[in-house]
Amino acid sequence: MTQLPASPRYYEIRLEGRLPERWSSWFDGLSISWQAGETLLRGPMADQAALYGLLKKVRDTGLILVAVNQICTKQE
Amino acid sequence: MPALILATKLYLPPPRPGLVSRPHLVAHLNEGLALGHKLSLISASAGFGKTTLLSEWISLFNHLHPRVAWLSLDETDSDPLRFLGYLIAALQTVQPELGQPVQAALQTPQPPSSESLLTDLLNEIAIYPERLALVLDDYHTLDSPEIDANLAFVLDHLPPQLHLVIASREDPNLPLSRLRARDLLTELRAPDLRFTPAEAADFLNRVMGLDLSAKDVTALEARTEGWIAGLQLAALSMQRQKDTAAFIQSFTGSHHFVLDYLLEEVLQRQPQKVQAFLLHTSILRRLTGSLCEATLDLSPGAGQATLEQLERANLFLVPLDNERRWYRYHHLFGDLLRQRLANPPEFPTFHLRASQWYEENGDLAEAFQHAHAAGDFERAARLSELAWPGMEATFQSVAWLGWVKKLPDTAILSRPLICCQLGRAFSDAGQPEISEAHLKNAERALAAAPNQAVFTPLPGDIALTRAYNAQVRGDIAGTIYHAEQAVRLIPVEDVLRRAQAVIMLEFTHWASGDLEASLRAIQTWMDDMRKLGNPVFEVASAFAKADLLVALGRLREAITTYQQALQRTAESGPEAEQITAHHHLGLALIDHELGQDESAARSLQTAAELGQHTPLVDWPHRWRLAQACLKESAGEWDDALELLDDARRVYVKNPVPITRPVEARQARVYIKQGRLDKAEAWARERGLSLDDEAAYLAEYELLTLARLRLDHPRALDLLERLLALAESQNRMGSVLEILLTQALAYRAQGNHPQTLTALGRALTLAAPQGYLRTFIDEGEQMRLLIVDFRLKIANSTHPLFGYVNKLLETFLPAAEVIAQSNIVNLKSEIFEPLTEREMEVLRLVAQGLSNTEISQWLYLALSTVKGHNRRIFDKLQARNRTEAVARARELGLL
Repeated sequence: MTQLPASPRYYEIRLEGRLPERWSSWFDGLSISWQAGETLLRGPMADQAALYGLLKKVRDTGLILVAVNQICTKQE
Repeated sequence: MPALILATKLYLPPPRPGLVSRPHLVAHLNEGLALGHKLSLISASAGFGKTTLLSEWISLFNHLHPRVAWLSLDETDSDPLRFLGYLIAALQTVQPELGQPVQAALQTPQPPSSESLLTDLLNEIAIYPERLALVLDDYHTLDSPEIDANLAFVLDHLPPQLHLVIASREDPNLPLSRLRARDLLTELRAPDLRFTPAEAADFLNRVMGLDLSAKDVTALEARTEGWIAGLQLAALSMQRQKDTAAFIQSFTGSHHFVLDYLLEEVLQRQPQKVQAFLLHTSILRRLTGSLCEATLDLSPGAGQATLEQLERANLFLVPLDNERRWYRYHHLFGDLLRQRLANPPEFPTFHLRASQWYEENGDLAEAFQHAHAAGDFERAARLSELAWPGMEATFQSVAWLGWVKKLPDTAILSRPLICCQLGRAFSDAGQPEISEAHLKNAERALAAAPNQAVFTPLPGDIALTRAYNAQVRGDIAGTIYHAEQAVRLIPVEDVLRRAQAVIMLEFTHWASGDLEASLRAIQTWMDDMRKLGNPVFEVASAFAKADLLVALGRLREAITTYQQALQRTAESGPEAEQITAHHHLGLALIDHELGQDESAARSLQTAAELGQHTPLVDWPHRWRLAQACLKESAGEWDDALELLDDARRVYVKNPVPITRPVEARQARVYIKQGRLDKAEAWARERGLSLDDEAAYLAEYELLTLARLRLDHPRALDLLERLLALAESQNRMGSVLEILLTQALAYRAQGNHPQTLTALGRALTLAAPQGYLRTFIDEGEQMRLLIVDFRLKIANSTHPLFGYVNKLLETFLPAAEVIAQSNIVNLKSEIFEPLTEREMEVLRLVAQGLSNTEISQWLYLALSTVKGHNRRIFDKLQARNRTEAVARARELGLL
């Protein structure tokens, strides 16, 4: 029995420092943009487990986490 | 896990010479030890020198410090039982015998709970004479709440000798605030671990050989915030630059993510070949020369040379052993290298080569991971198939399923072998429906596949797995059907697999009371084993066969079975002899039943000797049960009860059905002791009722209940039901017992004729086999019944006459058997006066004449005299001359 995938939530993760564009693939294709000395990662998370996996990657690369927010799908 | 990999996890990293020493941090850790803290926690993100610090601290230990057991963790260690196994392995680097019992328990199919294993381990440590420190490095790699709970348990029950050290990138989920509040925690966190300006200066100028001004050092230190990895990368970068000032300016001025920026710098400055090596080997979790060469197609020796070169250059390579064979990248560096690569086209090739290398070098787990990463799912599936037998045998089917889950259906559905293995894995996991789905896939794939030799065992395997599934579902008919199929399909030579099917059949039939069918299955098996020339299996099965024969009431055949098996053993040598402890024990018990006490004692002795060295796990249990039986016969009730308690404790779960639960046996002893309250308590706890349906496995308990309710009319109904079932299955051993119980019940309910009828049937059944103990152990009440019975048959030509006399001769003196309190102690109502002739004989007996002398004196045949004696003894309820004379005097006859 197949189930339709639940629609993903969108998250924005703010990190200290400027992360180059090419890190996008390391972060599973999230978009990267910069704002006042911080990097913003934005994109859909399939589920909570995916979000925590991502945060673990942030931790493991020594990046400093500033904030995690859920955002709506409209591009800001 | 390959021994090599395990050794690298236990390897205590030595301090790197020339590094910045951090005496104040070492002192802090030592202070914690001295204060008796339970846990030292080093918690900081990557690149703060946690492992280096621990390494320095430990290298400075003197004889007053604890001995160190080191365990480096990674993501694959998240299984609680594996974790415990490694923990013990680490402790054993300090003391090889520590934790051996727990290690052994971990190898069994159903190990005890983690808590009970940990308790045992901690108890062992508590009596260890030296202090121990257990270091868990990279604890954050585990992702297991159960392991967290286990460690919390350890901390709660920490023996004073043990100190725990944890290094992690995140705070572990342990009760840290509680430990902090009670001052039992030493902590070092990022602010503590940062290089101070002085340390930064020492590092940059002395260790890395730069020649920076104080101002430059301050600028760098500020920019990196003392982050050691950052300073290291900066230094590496500057080592190859002429213009360090420009570097510092652009570095400190940028917002760029420090690590990324610096890594870029460092990498760019390496020679092209080194860059390629670093980037491409980042796919390997551990590195050794020949693996690198295979993966990157380098010339022999080039891999090892490059690794050593990188280590010397301080390029984040960490040695994993003393011989400089295995390395890994410092985690941070490895992560970043991997990040950089973004799947270049060469990757699948590298992964494939790595997979091949690992396969050739015996690490199927890594081989699988790389095959999967390469996208070569066929290969990955093949590796899974290869890995299955080993993993199943070591109870790792769940881990194996974890691998296979990663494979797409397309790789699996066309491969009958892996489908079959999946069927088995899910069967092991107790999920018969999913198992069946996979088995059907296997059959489809088999039908479509070309005939290959490797697939021949599969139909048999599929049938066997279906049998297990049926068993899990409680479907007896299904179990038997599929097990029979499996026996047909699996070739005779494939002894081990066929044994599984035969054993299932055997025990399924047995548990449903169809002992004859079980016997047939065993007999076929034994014949097959004999044809195959496999005496050990043949001899082993003999003992189950004998058990069945005894239950079927065929004692003589059981004896022959044992004797034949022992004969085979004598022909086959010592390996077979080891398992014959059971056979001698079985013979001893039958001899005991038949009243052949001397030969029983001899067999018992042999059994005891063999039992000391036997590998059979159920020996301790059986031995105690047998001893209990003997104690019961001797009326030593308390000893019997104790032995039964012991037997219950040492019971090891095995497929043999439990036909006589220990608690029920104990209840019977309570009844004999007159402790009916305890027997009643047992019956209540088991929820037994006289209205229960007759079933083979419930029979013994129900008979025990009946004995508690002998005066209850419904007890007779129950006994009838049990009798009908036992007779329908030809279980004559049961029939005998039931008939005896019926006799007792009829008598308790005052039905004399039926008492003797039931007894008569029992005796008729028992006589050809020679049962003795079954009657004798019933005690005085039975003796009186038999006396009555003999009076009824009264005739020396009755076929049972000799047997009955033999029984009566064997009964213990009445005084030694404790009377049952709730059973009316019936004495025979009939006191027939002695005839004149009998009085004559008695007077001569009282004068001490032998039978021969009496026969001469009275001109009678010897047999006549003996006949008179018998009648005299009966009438006087005496067992022998002495008693007869005493009774006669009591009664005033003499």
